[in-house]
Amino acid sequence: MPEFKFEPVTMPPEAATLRAEVRAFCAAERAAGTFTPALGSMVEANPSFSEKMGARGWLGMTWPKQYGGHERTALERYVVVEEMLAAGAPCLAHWIADRQSGPQILRHGSERAKRTIIPEIAAGRCYFAIGMSEPDTGSDLASVRTRAHKTDAGWKITGRKIWTSYAHKAHYLIALVRTSGTADQRHQGLTQFIVDLKSPGITIRPIYNLYGGHDFNEVTFDDVFVTDDMIVAGEGRGWEMVTSELAFERSGPDRFMSSYPLLVEAFNAAGKTPSDAAAADLGRLVANLATLRRMSGSIAGMLQAGLNPATEAALVKDLGTAFEQEIPEVARRILPSEPRAALPDDRYTALLHKSQLECVSYSLRGGTREILRGMIARGLGLR
Amino acid sequence: MSDIRDEMLRTLDRIVEANLTIAEREKADGNGPSAKLWAALTEQGMTALGETDSEIPFADAMALVARSGYHAVPVPLAETIMARRLLSRADIALPEGSITLAARAGGQANLVGVAYGGTAAHVVVADGDSLHLLQVTNAVVHNAYNQAGEPRDTIDLGKAKTIDRKPLAHATDVLIAEGALLRSVQLAGALSRTLEHCLTWVNDRVQFGKPIARFQAIQHAMAIMASEAAAARAAADMAVEASEKQADWFAVAVAKSRAGEAAGKTAAAAHAAFGAMGFTREHPLHYSTRRLWAWRDDFGSEVIWQSKIGQHMAAKGGENLWATLTEMN
Repeated sequence: MPEFKFEPVTMPPEAATLRAEVRAFCAAERAAGTFTPALGSMVEANPSFSEKMGARGWLGMTWPKQYGGHERTALERYVVVEEMLAAGAPCLAHWIADRQSGPQILRHGSERAKRTIIPEIAAGRCYFAIGMSEPDTGSDLASVRTRAHKTDAGWKITGRKIWTSYAHKAHYLIALVRTSGTADQRHQGLTQFIVDLKSPGITIRPIYNLYGGHDFNEVTFDDVFVTDDMIVAGEGRGWEMVTSELAFERSGPDRFMSSYPLLVEAFNAAGKTPSDAAAADLGRLVANLATLRRMSGSIAGMLQAGLNPATEAALVKDLGTAFEQEIPEVARRILPSEPRAALPDDRYTALLHKSQLECVSYSLRGGTREILRGMIARGLGLR
Repeated sequence: MSDIRDEMLRTLDRIVEANLTIAEREKADGNGPSAKLWAALTEQGMTALGETDSEIPFADAMALVARSGYHAVPVPLAETIMARRLLSRADIALPEGSITLAARAGGQANLVGVAYGGTAAHVVVADGDSLHLLQVTNAVVHNAYNQAGEPRDTIDLGKAKTIDRKPLAHATDVLIAEGALLRSVQLAGALSRTLEHCLTWVNDRVQFGKPIARFQAIQHAMAIMASEAAAARAAADMAVEASEKQADWFAVAVAKSRAGEAAGKTAAAAHAAFGAMGFTREHPLHYSTRRLWAWRDDFGSEVIWQSKIGQHMAAKGGENLWATLTEMN
């Protein structure tokens, strides 16, 4: 029987010092008023905070020094990421660039792309968005219609991408585009391009979310010119690129720590001696979180060892997002809950309300729950 | 996996295959341990593991316990291994044969629900800060069975014969935590077996012209089950790693909470997938699912351990939660 194992990971000796440094940095920044703990990496952007992280060597941590990286282990990066999430630090600006786009460009980008973009990401000055979904392309990603046509000097892209988080502030977008064939040919003929979002022909329109926040965008491409050396990996290798990103995208602590600041506040709101029922509700969340940390850390170890644990990552994301979504449900149950507006000093209610509205997206972004369960079922040999 | 562990697990597989027929399982169910299986395990030295200076590392002994949970063995193998660990820690001479364990939490005269208490050669009892080795041949006042048909007997402490007693700090709490660790590890094994039963079934069972494994609803149910099994195993592994010398209560609390939650969800999902066939005595699924329901209650249900975690963290304050979690590994 196929069995998913999550072996213990041995942290490098430097990890403990690093953890203490990051924790102290976040505490100091918080004390200085740089931020108040928000819900996860993907809510609050603060470019100057990102630059401070870059200056401390906490972005592009695993990348080669010649490109501005720091040649540290994936496990040390893991420590920085989870400490940031636990602190509720504002990491949205650099998040996708550091997690996903940077590693992708380093492995598969042209020398020019590596030299111009990677050091800027590592410095905390360059931000990315992901252009995968389209108006008629959600979970069925292979059906993209945005097309690129070859010209003498490069390519011209025409089409539309949707749900592109942070495109309105990012510098680049990596777009999955059809370069040959038709949508019927599915995984063939797709290519990833690095697109400068200041290019002529790009229009970015906000799509406000259910609570009025602006994260999503619609990005329209009208004959947008891209040079050959901004192709990732090579023409026709787009699908391969998309799938190889997923283990990195799905297994990290950002897939179960988004509501963590609310859990902290729930403990504080419940007081020192909660009822046994409330304690059990909260304790169950702690047990689930401790287990998720183990599983996610184990995957970081597999990634460090050069493996591609895509199914394990899907499994952790499915469990992790369900956990994140439960926190507001538990938080509202353990206290006498009456309709009330968040008063200025009522952090608990403010976080609870925000969390309830925000967490809807957790099991949508980065692969829906249904897609993930399909992947796990495939791993079990059922499809 | 170490060679020695691998060899031990394969030996257990062979012993179970050779000795634990359905007839033998039925004979033991709601009755007593399988003498035949116990004799075969003893012959291979498996009932003499657990002492703290054993050449078999604790993690390997627990791997054997997990595998015994997978096989749903109707013998006190897990209890004996853990009892030997406790006795050797308290410096009490190890007796031969099967040993079970129980905590005397409130000074009561009777120990209720002692696993295999009526047939074990000895019982290790924790009482406050001391550990007792008892012989209970004439002290069994009631034979009962849990949902899985495993003996859960009542022992009159006044009639038990004390073989030895030694001080052991916080013996009662330690024994309960060691017991919860044991059941968490067994649950991980039983969850794995339940998933395996289900995967076989959904691939074989044809309805509407195709194996039911082809239906998305079934695929997703199996995906959830695999996730629960993986989480329970990860939590149990983490607890074993933290408990090499003595049960680490926080890691054990996490393991029993998570494995207990997985047990309830998995048993329900398994029976949903199996339909009426899973409700029969004939299909062996119930040897695993009845143990999921029974073991999640032993040595503190998941709710009790969750509450302990919650009270502990509430007293420390939310701001200290993260440091507590990162200190776990």
